[in-house]
Amino acid sequence: MKKYFSIGWTLLLAACICLSCKKDYPVDEDGLLITTRAECYVSSFELLGSDFVNVRVGAAVIDTTAQTIKVTVQFGTDLKNLYPQFTLASDCKLDPKVTGKTDFSDLAHPKVYTVVSGNREIRKPYTIYITVQPR
Amino acid sequence: MQRRNIYINYTSLLVALLLFMVGCKKQDYALPTPKDVLQNDVIKRTQGPNIVTQTIEFAYAMAILPSKGKLVSAEVEASIAGAPGTFLENRSFFTKPNGADSGVVVAQPSVTSGTKTTVTFNRDTSAATLRYFYVVPEGARGKTVSFTFSAKSSNGETVSYKMGPYTVAKMDIVRNLVLSDSTGMIYISIQDLAIYNSATAATKADRIDLIYLYRNITTSAFNHALVSPAADTVYLPGITLPAGVNRSTKEIKVFSLQDYNLAQLQYGIYIDDVDFQQLNFTSAPNYAINLKAEAGVWVETADGKYRAYIYINSVVNRATNKSAVIGIKRYAL
Repeated sequence: MKKYFSIGWTLLLAACICLSCKKDYPVDEDGLLITTRAECYVSSFELLGSDFVNVRVGAAVIDTTAQTIKVTVQFGTDLKNLYPQFTLASDCKLDPKVTGKTDFSDLAHPKVYTVVSGNREIRKPYTIYITVQPR
Repeated sequence: MQRRNIYINYTSLLVALLLFMVGCKKQDYALPTPKDVLQNDVIKRTQGPNIVTQTIEFAYAMAILPSKGKLVSAEVEASIAGAPGTFLENRSFFTKPNGADSGVVVAQPSVTSGTKTTVTFNRDTSAATLRYFYVVPEGARGKTVSFTFSAKSSNGETVSYKMGPYTVAKMDIVRNLVLSDSTGMIYISIQDLAIYNSATAATKADRIDLIYLYRNITTSAFNHALVSPAADTVYLPGITLPAGVNRSTKEIKVFSLQDYNLAQLQYGIYIDDVDFQQLNFTSAPNYAINLKAEAGVWVETADGKYRAYIYINSVVNRATNKSAVIGIKRYAL
């Protein structure tokens, strides 16, 4: 009988060792991995219309020093219903998040999106200036 | 030790029993024996929403052993009488090696009386597949419709097969409307599902929802456009509106939504009633410019009575022929 107990205890111990806690990787409030990267910039920017077709005329001008994005959109673009698309440096995230159609119609008050670095210690706000192509 | 041996024996017995129960058996193949009674089967050949004025197609197969008898008649009864044009084929179809359907006349042309459509076989036939074309009547709009297929054989047997119920959509459809900026046929009425010229539009001013125009502007991409009369005049260059034409129709541009009923291409996307119900026009503009072939716009009329999807089948950009062919699905709210 003692022999069976000892085998049981050994198995239990082995199971505990196997299932023991590992060191957790840090995650932020969105469940995203916090890394050591400090890079913090926008590398490309697109604007899609309600039909998911690109509405910009020419490439968006991204100034990582001035933290601005300047983009000209086609004449007749419905500025109230646009899908912005950002490409960010590795491990970065955007604040606020892009969750769907966004209203860019208030040209006097350009929208600001903040890029947060992978280590979540650097925050860089980018201002998006939209110009509508004349007819 | 003796007890342990007993356990081992029981376990072995159980395992053996289990193996015996799930063990493989060799099954000899036997040719299936065909049923010797009249049989039938039906498939629905059309997919997507069932729309008033459109056709629902079925293929009705029936067969009896030649030694038992031959087919005498076939009948389809719809729960709601079909619109004129409803018929049951009097040809039985088979597929040729090249994939083409080929029909052989096996019966007299069908006779429709009320809800029933009947064909009487006039050739010795023991197996046939007849197609049934049901034209959805106005009376079925928003209701469900069911079908009972039945066949009789010369030995007195009858057999039947029920299909449905199928919900008939509330929406309307119209295809192949030719808009032309060259001839002035540019005024679209969603309520009438029609297009008008300027003179007619003036008499139906309260029904004009959109204006079609094509402009080749070098400084911007205007191209083909569907603009509501109340839109900013910057989107209506060169257009003088008839008196009273002033509605503001909300629009949402769409691309790559090639509805099967409208596009009539190989794509299997269907716009159904529920799609119109779920649209949100809250911040939609009242114009849509730079439209291309195979693009479309969702539309809501100014009075909120109708929603529609306008699909652009094709466009012509020539200076002498600025036109577009469109199809419309419309849903009354």
